[in-house]
Amino acid sequence: MVESLGNSRYLVSVNRDSEVGVRESGVGIRKTLAYAVNDRARTWVFIDGRTYVIETEDRDASPGGRATDNQLALSAPMPATVIAVNVAPGQEVAEGDVLVLLEAMKMELPIKAPHAGRVKSIACREGELVPAGIPLLELDPGDDPHR
Amino acid sequence: MGRLAQVLIANRGEIAVRVIRACRELAIPSVAVYSDADAHALHVSLADRAVRIGPASPAESYLSIAAIVNAARETGTDAIHPGYGFLSENASFAAACAEAGITFIGPPAAVIERLGSKIAARAIAQKAGVPVVPGETPADQSNQAIAASALNVGFPVLLKPSAGGGGIGMKTIREERALAAGIEQARREAAAAFGDGTLYVERLIDRPRHVEFQLLADDHGHVIHLFERECSIQRRHQKVVEETPSTAVTPKLRQRMGDAAVALARAAGYRNAGTVEFLVEGTGDAASFYFLEVNTRLQVEHPVTERVTGIDLVHAQIAIASGDALPWTQASLTQRGHAIEVRVYAEDPSRHDLPQAGPLLLYREPSMPGVRIDSGVTEGGEISIHYDPLVAKLIADGETREIARRRAVEALRNYPILGIRTNVAFLIELLEHPRFIAGDIDTRFLDVEGEKLRAASVAAAIPAEALEIAAALRRGATDLSHRSAEGAKADPWDALRGFRG
Repeated sequence: MVESLGNSRYLVSVNRDSEVGVRESGVGIRKTLAYAVNDRARTWVFIDGRTYVIETEDRDASPGGRATDNQLALSAPMPATVIAVNVAPGQEVAEGDVLVLLEAMKMELPIKAPHAGRVKSIACREGELVPAGIPLLELDPGDDPHR
Repeated sequence: MGRLAQVLIANRGEIAVRVIRACRELAIPSVAVYSDADAHALHVSLADRAVRIGPASPAESYLSIAAIVNAARETGTDAIHPGYGFLSENASFAAACAEAGITFIGPPAAVIERLGSKIAARAIAQKAGVPVVPGETPADQSNQAIAASALNVGFPVLLKPSAGGGGIGMKTIREERALAAGIEQARREAAAAFGDGTLYVERLIDRPRHVEFQLLADDHGHVIHLFERECSIQRRHQKVVEETPSTAVTPKLRQRMGDAAVALARAAGYRNAGTVEFLVEGTGDAASFYFLEVNTRLQVEHPVTERVTGIDLVHAQIAIASGDALPWTQASLTQRGHAIEVRVYAEDPSRHDLPQAGPLLLYREPSMPGVRIDSGVTEGGEISIHYDPLVAKLIADGETREIARRRAVEALRNYPILGIRTNVAFLIELLEHPRFIAGDIDTRFLDVEGEKLRAASVAAAIPAEALEIAAALRRGATDLSHRSAEGAKADPWDALRGFRG
């Protein structure tokens, strides 16, 4: 139960894992039905059709996150089958080019180039089952002026 | 032929649950089959009996003809319902059932095979007088012959590599004066991509809608259609929203398309439930339609048809397979009101709809007037990495399209699924889009509007209420509702006041 005490303060009671939110609003009360559940380091909250995932541990919003994204982008996000390898070692690619096409859970997952560059090596082949997180290919930045 | 003694459902997930429930309603014992990944799945506990057929990999379980026919034999089953996907449109499976003396609840193997071939199906459609998308591979591949073919097919025209597929190397030409250059370029691209410059010339259908007709055909020569389903809201060849009636189909067009679907089914010797897919160009009585393909199975989106016709399609399938005559005539069928289905997928709209696997830590289906949920999951279960990410189908109906739409939105707002990311918020945004509300949709709708909808469905900031709830839950709060306002002042979540202005 989430109960508003006015001035944006809430009283929360936990009934197993689902909640009821109550907010004051002029005459009478306005209730908001909400649901929440803990999942190790995260809390999932559902209110009015939207789901929010709240990280329990404080995390530094370090600028290093982007680089990790790029590395992840070149590996399968989940176990998948390689449907097509569209590039060859040495090939120049533009940002957004589909390098490898995967399929998982009956969906096609394109692995796109996070930046322009040259394909250094390829570590997968068509028809292969690849685990999550293992790089599928290596991409060198092309003529990056910042190097 | 008489009543079926026992039905085995060669499928999993929501469709297995759907068919098992129909069997129970008809007092026919049901047998579920399951892979190791599904040992605790809902369909396993609902069936009268369940048989393990192999490991998680579909190829070794739900796609294994030998394992499934074996399970049927060992349980003394005399009929198999294939559901959709997996082996449902596999002619060899239907043939293996027939060989084992088991009734396949679907069309005969020969019909599945014939209609499964694009070329054969197109020929059957043409023979039945059903329009197909005009197109040909000119025997003479000279520029002049291809230009003549393009004029014959009509503009806008699409030049496709004859050897290709997947949209690679296709060239759209909208007027005659662009033909010469376009043909040269298309030939070069086809040769570069496929090592073969042969071109297929096809009429381009601009802003088409995907409209399909539900068919039922029995063993006594009766073929009827159960009207249309509009399935234009799709992405990557996967439907997301389906509805009936279609906002593009007028009574006259419905009559023409329905007649065409029935004629095609008769020409193909069709039996049981099936669907004829068409592309529709334009709106109103003068709209054109073109045959696409026949799906020789129950469709995912069959519930919308059930909501407006009042006919249970799985019951009808079982009756037909039992040798019964259809109790309806075309004239006795009516469409009442409107029904909309949305597919709830485990996927992440913030990451290009990447499918998600994981636990359903909290899962509560909404229950309200005019809303039906077809699902194969329960709270505490999981969406497995091995199968498709469909969580459930939510079907809303009402006297009008607008009521059905609002009911769907309201139901989605009360459909908490936690532990895994879903497209629930995306579906709400989609249903509230002005173009969807106006019924102004075509197969490119999500290509054009999808990014905006995805962005709108991902919260920019977490609202204060959500943070309050999370904070309380983390502290392991029990029942605090008796606390006075004074007492609450000392509570640590006071610190969170800053999140609201």
